[in-house]
Amino acid sequence: MGREVSESCIDSLVTEMVFSFCNRFYADKSDLAARRIEAIGYQVGHQLSERYTMERPRFSDHLEAIKFICKDFWSEVFKKQIDNLKTNHRGTFVLQDNRFRWLSRMSVEPSLETGQEGENKATEAMSMHLYFPCGIIRGALSNLGIPCAVSADISNLPACSFVIRIKA
Amino acid sequence: MIVCVAVVGHQNNPLYIQSFTEADDALKLHHIVHCSLDVIDERVNNPKKSGPLLNETFLGLLYPTENYKVYGYLTNTKVKFILVTTDLDVKDADVRNFFRRFHAAYGDAVSNPFHVPGKKITSRTFAESVSTIVKAFGLSSAG
Amino acid sequence: MDPARTPLGRMLLDEITPVVMVLRTPLVEEACGKNGLSFVEMLSPFCSFSNIDVPVRTASDQPYRLQKFKLRLFYSSDIRQPDVQVANERLKDVITQAGEKDLSNLSSELPQVDELLSSSESDIMPSWFQFFNKELIRTMSFSDHEAFDHPVACLLVVSSKDEQPINRFVDLFNSDQLPSLLNDGAMDPKILKLYLIVHDNQDGAPEKAKKFHNEMRSTFGSNSSQLLCINSSQGGLVEHLQNPWAPFKTDASPTQRLGGFLNIDDFNEIKKLTQDLASKHVIPYMEEKVRVLNQQVSATRKGFKNQIKNLWWRKGKEDTPDASNGPVYTFSSIESQIRVLGDYAFMLRDYELALSNYRLISTDYKLDKAWKRYAGVQEMMGLTFFMLDQSRKEAEYCMENAFNTYLKTGPTGQQNATRSGLWWVEMLKTRDQFKEAAGVYFRISGEEPLHSAVMLEQASYCYLLSKPPMLRKFGFHLILSGNQYKKSDQIKHAIRTYRRSISVLKGTTWSYIQDHVHFHIGQWYSFLGLYDSAVSHLLEVLSCGHQSKTTQEFFLKIFLQTVQKTGKACQVMRLPLPVINSSSLKVVFEDHRTYASPAATGVRESLWQSLEEEIVPSLPAARANWLEVQSNFTSKPNKNSNMCIVGEAIKVAIEFQNPLQISIPLSDVSLMCELCARSDDADSEANSLTAELQNDEATMLTTDRFLNSDMSSFALSNVELTLEGGGRKMVQLTVTPRVEGTLKIVGVKWKFSSSVVGFHNFVTGSVKKIQKGGKKNKQSPADSLKFDVVKTVPRLEGFIQSLPEKVYAGELQQLTLELNNKSHLSVKNLKMKISHPRYLNIGNQRNLNMDYPACLEKKTNSAEKTILEPHTINAPRNVFLFPEDTVVQGDTSFLWPLWLHAAAPGKVSLYIILYYEIENPESFMKYRTLRMLYNLEIFPSLDVSFQISACPSTLEEFLVRMDIANKTSTRNFQIHQLSSIGYQWEISLLQPTDSIYASPTLMSGQAFSCYLILKKSKRLDRAEANGSPVCSLTVSDIQLSTEGAGGKMYDSSLSPVKDFHNVERLQHGKSLEGDSNMVDFVLIYWPLDSETDPGVSDRPSLFSHHECHCSVASTSPISWVVEGPRLIHHDFSTSFCEVTLKMALYNSADAAASVRINTLDLSRNGDAQSRDESTLASGKQAGWYNVSLDSEIKVTSDVSGIQMKPLSSDSASPFVWTGSSSTKVRLPPLSTLGIPLQICVFSPGTYDLSNYILQWSLVLPDDQGNHGETRPSSGTCQGYSYFLTVLQST
Repeated sequence: MGREVSESCIDSLVTEMVFSFCNRFYADKSDLAARRIEAIGYQVGHQLSERYTMERPRFSDHLEAIKFICKDFWSEVFKKQIDNLKTNHRGTFVLQDNRFRWLSRMSVEPSLETGQEGENKATEAMSMHLYFPCGIIRGALSNLGIPCAVSADISNLPACSFVIRIKA
Repeated sequence: MIVCVAVVGHQNNPLYIQSFTEADDALKLHHIVHCSLDVIDERVNNPKKSGPLLNETFLGLLYPTENYKVYGYLTNTKVKFILVTTDLDVKDADVRNFFRRFHAAYGDAVSNPFHVPGKKITSRTFAESVSTIVKAFGLSSAG
Repeated sequence: MDPARTPLGRMLLDEITPVVMVLRTPLVEEACGKNGLSFVEMLSPFCSFSNIDVPVRTASDQPYRLQKFKLRLFYSSDIRQPDVQVANERLKDVITQAGEKDLSNLSSELPQVDELLSSSESDIMPSWFQFFNKELIRTMSFSDHEAFDHPVACLLVVSSKDEQPINRFVDLFNSDQLPSLLNDGAMDPKILKLYLIVHDNQDGAPEKAKKFHNEMRSTFGSNSSQLLCINSSQGGLVEHLQNPWAPFKTDASPTQRLGGFLNIDDFNEIKKLTQDLASKHVIPYMEEKVRVLNQQVSATRKGFKNQIKNLWWRKGKEDTPDASNGPVYTFSSIESQIRVLGDYAFMLRDYELALSNYRLISTDYKLDKAWKRYAGVQEMMGLTFFMLDQSRKEAEYCMENAFNTYLKTGPTGQQNATRSGLWWVEMLKTRDQFKEAAGVYFRISGEEPLHSAVMLEQASYCYLLSKPPMLRKFGFHLILSGNQYKKSDQIKHAIRTYRRSISVLKGTTWSYIQDHVHFHIGQWYSFLGLYDSAVSHLLEVLSCGHQSKTTQEFFLKIFLQTVQKTGKACQVMRLPLPVINSSSLKVVFEDHRTYASPAATGVRESLWQSLEEEIVPSLPAARANWLEVQSNFTSKPNKNSNMCIVGEAIKVAIEFQNPLQISIPLSDVSLMCELCARSDDADSEANSLTAELQNDEATMLTTDRFLNSDMSSFALSNVELTLEGGGRKMVQLTVTPRVEGTLKIVGVKWKFSSSVVGFHNFVTGSVKKIQKGGKKNKQSPADSLKFDVVKTVPRLEGFIQSLPEKVYAGELQQLTLELNNKSHLSVKNLKMKISHPRYLNIGNQRNLNMDYPACLEKKTNSAEKTILEPHTINAPRNVFLFPEDTVVQGDTSFLWPLWLHAAAPGKVSLYIILYYEIENPESFMKYRTLRMLYNLEIFPSLDVSFQISACPSTLEEFLVRMDIANKTSTRNFQIHQLSSIGYQWEISLLQPTDSIYASPTLMSGQAFSCYLILKKSKRLDRAEANGSPVCSLTVSDIQLSTEGAGGKMYDSSLSPVKDFHNVERLQHGKSLEGDSNMVDFVLIYWPLDSETDPGVSDRPSLFSHHECHCSVASTSPISWVVEGPRLIHHDFSTSFCEVTLKMALYNSADAAASVRINTLDLSRNGDAQSRDESTLASGKQAGWYNVSLDSEIKVTSDVSGIQMKPLSSDSASPFVWTGSSSTKVRLPPLSTLGIPLQICVFSPGTYDLSNYILQWSLVLPDDQGNHGETRPSSGTCQGYSYFLTVLQST
């Protein structure tokens, strides 16, 4: 499909979306905001999967679909592949991106806050930006007929790992 | 010539059925498309017949009715495209080509913001692009 | 599994069995006839043996025992190919009868897919299919191309009553009545013969018969002669528990008693007869024959040499005449013998032998192109393979081969094909290849509609049974076969198949197919006269928006016709036309809250409540929840349901929409309600509960009480409308309860095109309650539609007479509030609140009958100041209490004046709440409120702005510059008068009016400005002024126009102008006790021309513009004036000239100020000017409220510039200040002080003595540190220009 857009444009768009949901529409209701953002991501992924799976044989099992997400889908969206894929073979997959694009330009100073809860605030603000990609993954997979739940983990930045739990 | 093309959603609900004949045979075509879903299910679920081209989106000739040939195509998103034609000798390549273009058109149609996923495709743009593709099919098979 | 156990196996063991030809005399029949049976029928039940246990040896002497065995008995006359027509007729009857039987469960509810899937083949398939197939196969029997139908033995039967029985036997078996098979040599005419003499015990003892029997033994041989005695029971009343003959008599009427004369002895005798018929004669005979034939065949055909010879020989007779069936084979021909051998072997279960022979013969037939025989053999090979349960592929190949070959051979072949097809199908079924079986069914469904219908239906069930089930094909084939049934007018079967196909389509969105199915079922039902079922199906296709317009019309037409045929007014729950948008449901009801206009109902409840808070009693509760309030105020608690009053309508708005492209007429659209009158207050809850129950069952089966709901208890509105194609309409419906109790709005009903009554039940749909604001979620929809009807209470209807929708800003109008009390009770304690007192204010009684605006005119037409009496300045009451004695009597109307003042441009909604209490104490509600809503649009008219600047010439005088711009596009205004309201301020014209402008009229878009003087009124002495904080406001008016209003002046100290003025003051956020440096202006004007825009009121009215808090102390609290000579004659030759001046300082602030005056010697004009302007600018900001256009700013700045320019040039010539160059004085508040100044001039000229600076600072006491923070506490002022001209005196 090779359709290209300005990356910066997308970045700013995403940032702005997250900002307006967290601080404008659903200020101090972060869970609601999260759900909204995730829903948007879901729609996006839903659309993307339709495009990116053209011209390719159907997936015979879940693993293939996940691999598709890691390779083609990811490189379509982020110009790189997932660096590491782990699975427990019981429906849980861990996709690790060592340098997740949307976090690469991001830096939160916990120094602004004091001590522990500062850290928490920082990570929470970070994680807000991860609901969108999570939603994208979930949307793509569910459009491929794989209902699942996706969560993200940013314990060691800038690496970011997405955990996919497939609903049996 | 192509008699009818159809898009059927992943819950086997008709999303788009367009016949290209003057005759008032909408009902018959609906029946044909509807029944072809059984064949598609069969093809997909017990793939022993379809052998190597197991996961290909193109399902090939579903079944020949008395005077039609029905071809099927199943996307990764479990959406079925069905092509009903009266041509007796159709080149496989042509059908594949047709479905590829059709799939592209469908992709555009579903990324139309006014399209509700899972609902009937009403976009005029889609209809137009489909009709052009259908015309092209006739030509390509000719030449 | 054992093939013999499979259905096909059983079928074969049943069908392919030895045939015994029966020849009998009429007397035999007669004897049997007594039992209502023919001879064959009588014997048939006893001809199939479950375990006959006969030892047999195969051709190769393998011993084995036959257990299950059967003989088929036929009269010689029946041994021939049955007539096709007859056969078909019989089949048709079978189907029709089946149809009749099914009719009963036609009206049963539709089957579900899953239950179809769960149920086994046997109970899905109609039972008659088996029978039908058997019959179908039978029609193909006795063909000459196969041998298993050829009689193996011949049973000759003679009655003991026949005379000459022996001879009878002989001529029974004479050729003319023998079947053609024997005659034309298709089979061996010399077959095993058995002789039976039948004796009827009714005709006496069987001695005679025994005698005959002995004769027979002697003539025909002992073991081939039998004696059978029947009808041993006297009276013939024997009851047989399970009647063995029933399955063999298709046309048996149940009443007829079969075998009445046969008792148990007869049974045993018959059993014994048939038993040894089979075991002693038929089987040994066949066994023998097999052995013989086998030897012949092996002699002629087995072995290599024979093979070659045979081949060569067949090649030799290549040129056989007829191609179709190959040569005619007589029984003696080796081929026929092989075939017979095969068939016999088959019937004796020696399948290997059979198979080998079939193989042998099939090649021969193939070579001979004897296709029919070839096919027959292939068929048998297939079956044999099956029975051997080996090489399924072979078996199916053979069956297919047979099938196709049959098809190649003409029409008769078609039938044979069908038979082999059926066998093939059974074979596939036993191997669970249902899909293939379905395919075969499809192939054997020929052109003949009835036949194909049955085959297609069977095919459909195969699709259903195939794993995984192919439901769509199941449905499709059902529909196909339904069509065929219909073609052969088996409507009942057609309906049955179609209805089954619904189970597949239900819940899908394949609307075209669904419509097709439902529509046809409906039509066929109506053919059968089952109109209700027809309607129920036609309903399904009614809302077919996807269909073409013509189709829609057609469906509708048929539907209405069918409905008419039903004859009665048909009532349909959830008639799909029109579609009811449940979410659009709005209920408007009035308990203690009543609404003046529909618009008022649309307002948010919370807004009303916030307005009502101050009026309605028991405020704390009001916050929480209305119902608590009611329970405080009502005699009985009603928790979960709303209140409404007897005789007051509840309005319900619901949206209808039309899915079709054709317009549909609706009539009698009305609500379905039920009102159960309150027996007593105690169990009203229970009562309402019962009402609930009733309502449920009522909505289930729409009982007539909704149709002709008793109008005694409540009244319903009746709407009639036509929905255009694809249109949607909001329909307003009302119900008016007439008695107390619990009213429940159940749903809406309507009559569709005056024939069909449709119902829609609200409770199913969600209900949006606009009344209940936030608490609709707390309330279940059912409750929100439930009302407690309470005793009638007076209800005021109110409106404001002639309130315009569009006015120009500033317009002041008198309006009248009219309240009508329709009830006979009277109400009291009226209170009223208006959301925007700035725009709408409440007058007092006496305004009512004064004529306006004349009432505002001043009594004395002079410009002398009137003093506002202080008590009028208190805050405008936001709750207006009508006088105590105001009581609105029943059936009277009540008027009260209101004042409208279009204060500011823009759109404004005026919310008005009127509160009143009901007089009689035992009334259910104590009070009610009337809610009114008016929307007002105000256009800008005049844009007025004032600028105050200190007047340089005199103390305590100010120049007021008034800028007026006409913002309207069309109206022209006449400025009438300007009033200033402030503490001891008095406004006056700079020049007399007429000198400036004859008449100050402003054409549209025009602007003008004029100067006025504002000066302290001298009348009141200081002491009063500075002491009291609340000192009286004085009003001073000046007339700006001479003509118009006859030079009358209007008194702006009168209500309503005064009231609005006060509101304005509040509006601008200042306290009413403005300080003495504030002054307000009221400009009064009116439109000149009477021609008006539409919608804008043209009633005689004043316009008033209120400009508040114009600060006088704009520049600084300190003002001063330099007094002294202007012109001096002096002789400079003698000395320089000294001039003494006096500067009078005034401190307008209410705090002491310290002032220092610095005199500068060198002129600082440019500087001065800049400062001056800067101060002016600051003053501008201080004094202005409205933002005015830029042009005007420019104007003012120019004007201010003028003061300096002309003389600044030649004011260079030097003079010096003498005396102290810097003077410092302390100025008590509001006091004047004189300071001497002196200069000496050295040469004649004109001097501008403005080159001094005055620095002041207020010494504020601590307590009022924050007072007057609006003004600077210190500042520096450039001196005013004071021109002194000194002339050389001569």
